[in-house]
Amino acid sequence: METDRTQRGDEWLEAALAADARDHAAYLADDGFTANVLARLPQVAALPAWRRPVVALLWLIAGCAVAVALPGLFYDVFHSLIATVFGQALTLSRITVALTLLGALTWSTIVYAVREE
Amino acid sequence: MSSPAVSDAQLIARVLVQDDRHAFGELVRRHQSVVRATLRKLTGGNHALADDLAQETFLLAYRNLRSFRQEAKFSTWLYRIAYNTFLADTRKMKELPLPEDTDADDLASVDHDETMSVASGAVLSVDLARAMATLSDAERAAIVQCYHNDLSHEEAAYVLGCPVGTVKTHILRAKQKLKARLSGWGPET
Repeated sequence: METDRTQRGDEWLEAALAADARDHAAYLADDGFTANVLARLPQVAALPAWRRPVVALLWLIAGCAVAVALPGLFYDVFHSLIATVFGQALTLSRITVALTLLGALTWSTIVYAVREE
Repeated sequence: MSSPAVSDAQLIARVLVQDDRHAFGELVRRHQSVVRATLRKLTGGNHALADDLAQETFLLAYRNLRSFRQEAKFSTWLYRIAYNTFLADTRKMKELPLPEDTDADDLASVDHDETMSVASGAVLSVDLARAMATLSDAERAAIVQCYHNDLSHEEAAYVLGCPVGTVKTHILRAKQKLKARLSGWGPET
Protein backbone atom coordinates (compact mmCIF):
# COMPACT_ATOMS: atom_id res chain seq x y z
CA MET A 1 0.00 0.00 0.00
CA GLU A 2 2.70 2.42 0.99
CA THR A 3 4.82 1.70 -2.07
CA ASP A 4 1.72 1.95 -4.20
CA ARG A 5 1.02 5.42 -2.86
CA THR A 6 4.54 6.77 -2.62
CA GLN A 7 6.30 8.30 -5.57
CA ARG A 8 9.93 9.36 -5.62
CA GLY A 9 10.36 12.75 -3.96
CA ASP A 10 7.04 12.47 -2.15
CA GLU A 11 8.49 11.16 1.09
CA TRP A 12 8.14 14.48 2.92
CA LEU A 13 4.47 14.69 1.90
CA GLU A 14 3.90 11.08 2.92
CA ALA A 15 5.54 11.85 6.27
CA ALA A 16 3.34 14.92 6.73
CA LEU A 17 0.21 12.95 5.89
CA ALA A 18 1.30 10.15 8.23
CA ALA A 19 1.84 12.66 11.06
CA ASP A 20 -1.56 14.18 10.34
CA ALA A 21 -3.06 10.68 10.39
CA ARG A 22 -1.52 10.06 13.83
CA ASP A 23 -3.22 13.22 15.11
CA HIS A 24 -6.42 12.07 13.47
CA ALA A 25 -6.17 8.70 15.25
CA ALA A 26 -6.16 10.38 18.68
CA TYR A 27 -9.27 9.29 20.58
CA LEU A 28 -11.99 11.90 20.82
CA ALA A 29 -13.69 11.87 24.22
CA ASP A 30 -17.36 10.97 24.04
CA ASP A 31 -18.49 14.05 26.03
CA GLY A 32 -22.15 13.13 25.86
CA PHE A 33 -22.13 12.34 22.16
CA THR A 34 -23.47 8.80 22.62
CA ALA A 35 -26.19 10.00 24.98
CA ASN A 36 -27.28 12.59 22.41
CA VAL A 37 -27.50 9.94 19.69
CA LEU A 38 -29.50 7.58 21.91
CA ALA A 39 -31.87 10.40 22.86
CA ARG A 40 -32.59 10.99 19.18
CA LEU A 41 -33.41 7.36 18.36
CA PRO A 42 -37.04 6.79 17.40
CA GLN A 43 -39.25 6.01 20.40
CA VAL A 44 -40.35 2.45 20.98
CA ALA A 45 -44.07 2.04 20.30
CA ALA A 46 -44.96 1.09 23.88
CA LEU A 47 -48.38 -0.47 24.46
CA PRO A 48 -50.34 0.99 27.38
CA ALA A 49 -50.30 -1.25 30.47
CA TRP A 50 -54.09 -1.64 30.52
CA ARG A 51 -54.31 -2.90 26.94
CA ARG A 52 -53.81 -6.64 27.48
CA PRO A 53 -56.25 -7.20 30.37
CA VAL A 54 -58.89 -5.10 28.64
CA VAL A 55 -58.51 -7.08 25.41
CA ALA A 56 -58.72 -10.36 27.37
CA LEU A 57 -61.84 -9.14 29.18
CA LEU A 58 -63.48 -8.09 25.92
CA TRP A 59 -62.83 -11.52 24.41
CA LEU A 60 -64.33 -13.16 27.50
CA ILE A 61 -67.42 -10.95 27.30
CA ALA A 62 -67.77 -11.68 23.60
CA GLY A 63 -67.51 -15.42 24.24
CA CYS A 64 -70.13 -15.29 27.00
CA ALA A 65 -72.41 -13.19 24.81
CA VAL A 66 -72.22 -15.71 22.01
CA ALA A 67 -72.88 -18.57 24.45
CA VAL A 68 -75.90 -16.80 25.95
CA ALA A 69 -77.33 -15.53 22.68
CA LEU A 70 -76.94 -18.80 20.85
CA PRO A 71 -77.31 -21.56 23.46
CA GLY A 72 -78.42 -24.16 20.91
CA LEU A 73 -75.45 -23.44 18.64
CA PHE A 74 -73.05 -23.44 21.59
CA TYR A 75 -74.45 -26.79 22.77
CA ASP A 76 -74.27 -28.30 19.26
CA VAL A 77 -70.70 -27.17 18.76
CA PHE A 78 -69.66 -28.33 22.20
CA HIS A 79 -71.47 -31.65 21.77
CA SER A 80 -69.93 -32.26 18.36
CA LEU A 81 -66.48 -31.34 19.64
CA ILE A 82 -66.66 -33.72 22.55
CA ALA A 83 -68.18 -36.46 20.40
CA THR A 84 -65.40 -36.00 17.89
CA VAL A 85 -62.66 -36.02 20.51
CA PHE A 86 -63.92 -38.90 22.54
CA GLY A 87 -65.90 -40.68 19.81
CA GLN A 88 -68.53 -41.54 22.40
CA ALA A 89 -71.65 -40.11 23.91
CA LEU A 90 -71.33 -37.48 26.60
CA THR A 91 -71.10 -38.52 30.21
CA LEU A 92 -70.94 -36.39 33.31
CA SER A 93 -67.33 -37.31 34.02
CA ARG A 94 -66.21 -36.41 30.51
CA ILE A 95 -68.06 -33.11 30.61
CA THR A 96 -66.25 -32.41 33.89
CA VAL A 97 -62.89 -33.22 32.32
CA ALA A 98 -63.66 -31.08 29.30
CA LEU A 99 -64.77 -28.15 31.46
CA THR A 100 -61.65 -28.51 33.59
CA LEU A 101 -59.46 -28.44 30.49
CA LEU A 102 -61.38 -25.48 29.12
CA GLY A 103 -61.03 -23.65 32.44
CA ALA A 104 -57.29 -24.35 32.54
CA LEU A 105 -56.93 -23.12 28.98
CA THR A 106 -58.87 -19.94 29.74
CA TRP A 107 -56.86 -19.33 32.90
CA SER A 108 -53.58 -19.84 31.05
CA THR A 109 -54.70 -17.46 28.32
CA ILE A 110 -55.60 -14.77 30.84
CA VAL A 111 -52.31 -15.22 32.70
CA TYR A 112 -50.45 -14.96 29.40
CA ALA A 113 -52.42 -11.90 28.38
CA VAL A 114 -51.75 -9.93 31.56
CA ARG A 115 -48.14 -11.10 32.07
CA GLU A 116 -45.32 -8.60 32.58
CA GLU A 117 -43.14 -7.95 29.52
CA MET B 1 -7.06 -0.28 23.38
CA SER B 2 -7.77 -3.94 24.18
CA SER B 3 -10.12 -5.92 21.97
CA PRO B 4 -13.71 -5.72 23.21
CA ALA B 5 -15.30 -8.75 24.89
CA VAL B 6 -18.38 -8.50 22.70
CA SER B 7 -17.84 -8.15 18.96
CA ASP B 8 -19.55 -5.59 16.76
CA ALA B 9 -21.42 -8.43 15.04
CA GLN B 10 -22.84 -9.63 18.37
CA LEU B 11 -23.92 -6.12 19.31
CA ILE B 12 -25.55 -5.64 15.91
CA ALA B 13 -27.43 -8.92 16.35
CA ARG B 14 -28.74 -7.74 19.73
CA VAL B 15 -29.96 -4.49 18.20
CA LEU B 16 -31.69 -6.30 15.35
CA VAL B 17 -33.28 -9.08 17.39
CA GLN B 18 -34.14 -7.33 20.66
CA ASP B 19 -33.94 -3.66 19.66
CA ASP B 20 -31.31 -3.48 22.40
CA ARG B 21 -30.48 0.21 22.66
CA HIS B 22 -27.68 -0.39 25.16
CA ALA B 23 -25.99 -2.52 22.51
CA PHE B 24 -26.41 0.25 19.96
CA GLY B 25 -25.04 2.72 22.51
CA GLU B 26 -21.96 0.54 22.85
CA LEU B 27 -21.52 0.55 19.07
CA VAL B 28 -21.77 4.35 19.05
CA ARG B 29 -19.26 4.62 21.90
CA ARG B 30 -16.80 2.38 20.05
CA HIS B 31 -16.96 4.19 16.73
CA GLN B 32 -17.86 7.78 17.57
CA SER B 33 -14.26 8.92 17.73
CA VAL B 34 -13.24 7.77 14.24
CA VAL B 35 -16.50 8.85 12.64
CA ARG B 36 -16.32 12.32 14.20
CA ALA B 37 -12.63 12.65 13.35
CA THR B 38 -13.30 11.64 9.73
CA LEU B 39 -16.11 14.16 9.42
CA ARG B 40 -13.93 16.86 10.96
CA LYS B 41 -11.45 16.23 8.19
CA LEU B 42 -14.13 16.18 5.51
CA THR B 43 -15.70 19.42 6.75
CA GLY B 44 -12.35 21.17 6.87
CA GLY B 45 -12.22 21.33 10.65
CA ASN B 46 -15.76 22.48 11.36
CA HIS B 47 -16.22 20.56 14.62
CA ALA B 48 -19.82 21.56 15.29
CA LEU B 49 -20.96 20.60 11.80
CA ALA B 50 -18.92 17.39 11.97
CA ASP B 51 -20.59 16.36 15.22
CA ASP B 52 -24.06 17.11 13.82
CA LEU B 53 -23.27 14.99 10.77
CA ALA B 54 -21.84 12.25 13.00
CA GLN B 55 -25.10 12.13 14.96
CA GLU B 56 -27.01 11.94 11.70
CA THR B 57 -24.67 9.16 10.57
CA PHE B 58 -25.42 7.01 13.62
CA LEU B 59 -29.17 7.63 13.37
CA LEU B 60 -29.08 6.52 9.73
CA ALA B 61 -27.00 3.51 10.73
CA TYR B 62 -29.63 2.58 13.33
CA ARG B 63 -32.49 2.90 10.85
CA ASN B 64 -30.66 0.94 8.15
CA LEU B 65 -28.91 -1.64 10.29
CA ARG B 66 -30.86 -4.46 8.63
CA SER B 67 -29.26 -3.59 5.32
CA PHE B 68 -25.74 -4.07 6.75
CA ARG B 69 -24.66 -7.35 5.19
CA GLN B 70 -21.28 -7.66 6.94
CA GLU B 71 -19.54 -7.64 3.53
CA ALA B 72 -17.44 -4.81 4.89
CA LYS B 73 -16.33 -3.99 8.42
CA PHE B 74 -18.90 -2.10 10.46
CA SER B 75 -16.54 0.88 10.69
CA THR B 76 -16.15 0.94 6.90
CA TRP B 77 -19.93 0.84 6.52
CA LEU B 78 -20.16 3.77 8.94
CA TYR B 79 -17.56 5.70 6.90
CA ARG B 80 -19.73 5.18 3.85
CA ILE B 81 -22.82 6.53 5.61
CA ALA B 82 -20.79 9.41 7.03
CA TYR B 83 -19.47 10.32 3.59
CA ASN B 84 -22.97 10.19 2.04
CA THR B 85 -24.30 12.32 4.90
CA PHE B 86 -21.49 14.79 4.33
CA LEU B 87 -22.23 14.91 0.57
CA ALA B 88 -25.93 15.46 1.20
CA ASP B 89 -25.13 18.31 3.56
CA THR B 90 -22.65 19.80 1.10
CA ARG B 91 -25.27 19.80 -1.62
CA LYS B 92 -27.66 21.48 0.76
CA MET B 93 -25.24 24.10 2.02
CA LYS B 94 -23.49 24.64 -1.36
CA GLU B 95 -20.37 25.91 0.32
CA LEU B 96 -18.43 24.97 3.44
CA PRO B 97 -16.56 27.34 5.73
CA LEU B 98 -12.81 26.94 5.62
CA PRO B 99 -11.01 26.44 8.92
CA GLU B 100 -9.35 29.89 8.85
CA ASP B 101 -10.61 30.84 12.32
CA THR B 102 -9.56 27.64 13.98
CA ASP B 103 -6.11 27.85 12.45
CA ALA B 104 -5.29 30.89 14.53
CA ASP B 105 -6.47 29.13 17.66
CA ASP B 106 -4.43 26.08 16.82
CA LEU B 107 -1.33 28.18 16.29
CA ALA B 108 -1.92 30.07 19.52
CA SER B 109 -2.23 26.83 21.42
CA VAL B 110 1.26 25.67 20.40
CA ASP B 111 3.51 25.51 23.47
CA HIS B 112 6.41 27.88 22.84
CA ASP B 113 8.69 25.84 25.10
CA GLU B 114 8.47 22.83 22.88
CA THR B 115 11.34 21.96 20.65
CA MET B 116 11.77 23.59 17.29
CA SER B 117 11.00 20.39 15.43
CA VAL B 118 7.71 19.95 17.24
CA ALA B 119 6.76 23.56 16.51
CA SER B 120 7.78 23.07 12.93
CA GLY B 121 5.62 19.97 12.74
CA ALA B 122 2.68 21.87 14.18
CA VAL B 123 3.05 24.61 11.60
CA LEU B 124 3.27 22.02 8.83
CA SER B 125 0.13 20.44 10.25
CA VAL B 126 -1.68 23.79 10.05
CA ASP B 127 -0.42 24.37 6.52
CA LEU B 128 -1.50 20.88 5.58
CA ALA B 129 -4.99 21.54 6.98
CA ARG B 130 -5.17 24.72 4.88
CA ALA B 131 -3.96 22.86 1.81
CA MET B 132 -6.46 20.05 2.43
CA ALA B 133 -9.23 22.65 2.48
CA THR B 134 -8.37 23.61 -1.10
CA LEU B 135 -8.93 20.07 -2.38
CA SER B 136 -12.23 19.06 -3.93
CA ASP B 137 -14.58 17.12 -1.67
CA ALA B 138 -13.84 13.89 -3.53
CA GLU B 139 -10.06 14.39 -3.38
CA ARG B 140 -10.14 15.24 0.30
CA ALA B 141 -12.38 12.25 1.00
CA ALA B 142 -10.01 9.92 -0.84
CA ILE B 143 -7.03 11.19 1.17
CA VAL B 144 -8.94 10.93 4.44
CA GLN B 145 -10.10 7.37 3.78
CA CYS B 146 -6.75 6.05 2.52
CA TYR B 147 -4.34 7.92 4.79
CA HIS B 148 -6.26 8.87 7.91
CA ASN B 149 -8.58 5.87 8.13
CA ASP B 150 -5.93 3.60 6.61
CA LEU B 151 -8.34 1.93 4.19
CA SER B 152 -7.19 0.09 1.10
CA HIS B 153 -8.07 1.57 -2.29
CA GLU B 154 -10.80 -1.06 -2.62
CA GLU B 155 -12.32 -0.20 0.75
CA ALA B 156 -12.11 3.51 -0.04
CA ALA B 157 -13.88 2.85 -3.34
CA TYR B 158 -16.68 1.12 -1.39
CA VAL B 159 -16.95 4.04 1.02
CA LEU B 160 -16.87 6.69 -1.69
CA GLY B 161 -19.11 4.73 -4.04
CA CYS B 162 -16.79 4.97 -7.04
CA PRO B 163 -14.39 2.69 -8.98
CA VAL B 164 -10.95 1.92 -7.57
CA GLY B 165 -9.33 3.72 -10.50
CA THR B 166 -11.19 6.90 -9.60
CA VAL B 167 -9.93 6.68 -6.02
CA LYS B 168 -6.35 6.41 -7.29
CA THR B 169 -6.89 9.37 -9.59
CA HIS B 170 -8.32 11.46 -6.74
CA ILE B 171 -5.33 10.62 -4.56
CA LEU B 172 -2.84 11.41 -7.31
CA ARG B 173 -4.46 14.77 -8.03
CA ALA B 174 -4.81 15.55 -4.34
CA LYS B 175 -1.14 14.87 -3.72
CA GLN B 176 -0.15 17.03 -6.70
CA LYS B 177 -2.22 19.89 -5.30
CA LEU B 178 -0.86 19.38 -1.80
CA LYS B 179 2.71 19.35 -3.11
CA ALA B 180 2.06 22.57 -5.00
CA ARG B 181 0.47 24.25 -1.97
CA LEU B 182 3.16 23.00 0.40
CA SER B 183 6.11 23.43 -1.93
CA GLY B 184 8.00 25.37 0.71
CA TRP B 185 8.11 22.27 2.91
CA GLY B 186 9.45 19.99 0.16
CA PRO B 187 13.09 19.22 -0.64
CA GLU B 188 15.15 21.92 -2.37
CA THR B 189 15.27 21.33 -6.16
